[in-house]
Amino acid sequence: MGLFAFESGPLEPDRYRESLADPSAGGYASFEGWVRDHNEGRTVERLEYEAFESLAIKEGECIVLEAVARYGVTRAACVHRVGSLGIGELAVWVGVSAAHRGEAFAACRYIIDEVKHRVPIWKKEHYADGNSGWVNCERCAAAPRHVGPDHEHAHGHADADGSAATPAHDYSRQIALPEVGAAGQARLAAASVLVVGAGGLGVPVLQYLAAAGIGRLGIVDGDVVEASNLHRQPLYGPADLGRPKAAVAAERLRALNRDVRIEAHEAHASPDNIDALVEHHDLVVECTDNFRAKFLVNDAVLRAQKPAVFASVHQYEGQLQVYRPLPHWPCLRCLWPEAPRDGLVGNCAEAGVLGPVPATLGALQAMQALKRLLGLDAGETPSLVMVDLLSLETRRLAARRNPGCDHDNPGRDSPPAEQPLELEFETLAAAFESGLELVDIRESWERAHDPPGLQIPSHLPLSELVDGHAEFPAEGRYLIICAHGVRSLSLTEHLRSRGQAEVYSLRGGLAALRG
Amino acid sequence: MNEIEVQYFAVLRERAGTSREIVQTAATTAAELYDELAARHDFGLPQAMLRVAVNDAFAEWSRPLVAGDRVVFIPPVAGG
Repeated sequence: MGLFAFESGPLEPDRYRESLADPSAGGYASFEGWVRDHNEGRTVERLEYEAFESLAIKEGECIVLEAVARYGVTRAACVHRVGSLGIGELAVWVGVSAAHRGEAFAACRYIIDEVKHRVPIWKKEHYADGNSGWVNCERCAAAPRHVGPDHEHAHGHADADGSAATPAHDYSRQIALPEVGAAGQARLAAASVLVVGAGGLGVPVLQYLAAAGIGRLGIVDGDVVEASNLHRQPLYGPADLGRPKAAVAAERLRALNRDVRIEAHEAHASPDNIDALVEHHDLVVECTDNFRAKFLVNDAVLRAQKPAVFASVHQYEGQLQVYRPLPHWPCLRCLWPEAPRDGLVGNCAEAGVLGPVPATLGALQAMQALKRLLGLDAGETPSLVMVDLLSLETRRLAARRNPGCDHDNPGRDSPPAEQPLELEFETLAAAFESGLELVDIRESWERAHDPPGLQIPSHLPLSELVDGHAEFPAEGRYLIICAHGVRSLSLTEHLRSRGQAEVYSLRGGLAALRG
Repeated sequence: MNEIEVQYFAVLRERAGTSREIVQTAATTAAELYDELAARHDFGLPQAMLRVAVNDAFAEWSRPLVAGDRVVFIPPVAGG
């Protein structure tokens, strides 16, 4: 028996009920709708149901799947009569089996209410006075309404108080795809995705996943919106400067699609929070701009056995890699056994980037995430996809699991630091008073834009340290400073690994300082 | 001497000044070819930081090269 069906003959509830039996089910709830002999003061003798069956079955299946996802019930189904029915005949049957009665009742109620509102079924009543009329077509709007976990009852027409509600979010163009359909839409509504980083990659990922009707989206970003972000992160505008990115993004996405539950986490991904965040979602999209975070996410998804979509950009190029928790599937460390150090290859601040480059890679990440959630990636083999937006060439390189990469103990080789690598200061003055010598490792052109009061006398550009043109002093106590604390942290880790104990990185870099 | 098609990405493309070139080389493995080209273009990135792909699949650095192979040197990329 299917999730939703039409019958032209009498319904057989006993037979349907058997199909819901399951050893894990501790209860069963059902609803039966019967033909009654009156409606709005008129005596009814019989009635006829007509349905737009192909569309109605899709929508009906979608409702049943939503109920299963929302209430966590074991099985559910709905059968509706079509054709001519006499008084007392069974018009519609809903059945739900579940571990406990509460979910079974709730899911049953949800299904019958939504079927009455959303499924295109028309009822013609034949009255005792010989007249007849089509009544009670409860399907509200042309577009089916889909719900997220924070579903509120709202329809595409004026509410009782007369104010026009926001129109329902219309997924019809993606539901129209045979591979998606109502069942695919229900899968998206039941899914949760964690997006780590709400920058150049994260913005399109968040926009497309929210628009597609993912049930719950988590946003992790500890940065604030900066003027230099706007050219490639058009979710933000000048009025948002200085506000936390996660909060601004959440605001915009809620306005974009209220079906989606948005959870903003105003923090950088760190060893302290990443496992709990990953555990709380079905899939992770990694959109940060540094190797440290990418490997942190890689290790967490390996531990949690969750799929993840990684991407990075450099000037006009990008790389895309999907991780799936399958025995033969390579992770980020399989491809890059020696976790690269941030700063050795350019990030957006140093190397420059045109907005559509991260936008292209972010759109590819959103696509890969949707494919995974919809099960459209069955034939896809592990690979690194390289996109060059200057030559418009795309190259897909087959990747294999590295037998030396221990997926059971991801990242075990990086030893925990005994002393904190990063120190936090509220102002530059406080940092000067710490007794540490401050060293600015930004490039000269970055320093050229410094406002008054932010001059740090000691300057060792990272590029010169990497090229070997300059050497970091081996003796002394230093606080290493860059724009956002990414390059400084990388250099600090490198110096610590050389045995230099008294070096620290300014957490969050100059961007994190107040005044 | 073998004729090999080489493609560069990211920092290697910048250093080489081209995204693609055909090289005549006596190198017999991917590692030898990288050493030769790193010296010619002053790449400055150690081989251990890179991955190599031959004919659209990731390969070992010890992989023997034959005429007509397409070789891609891939640096890690972090921007976002």
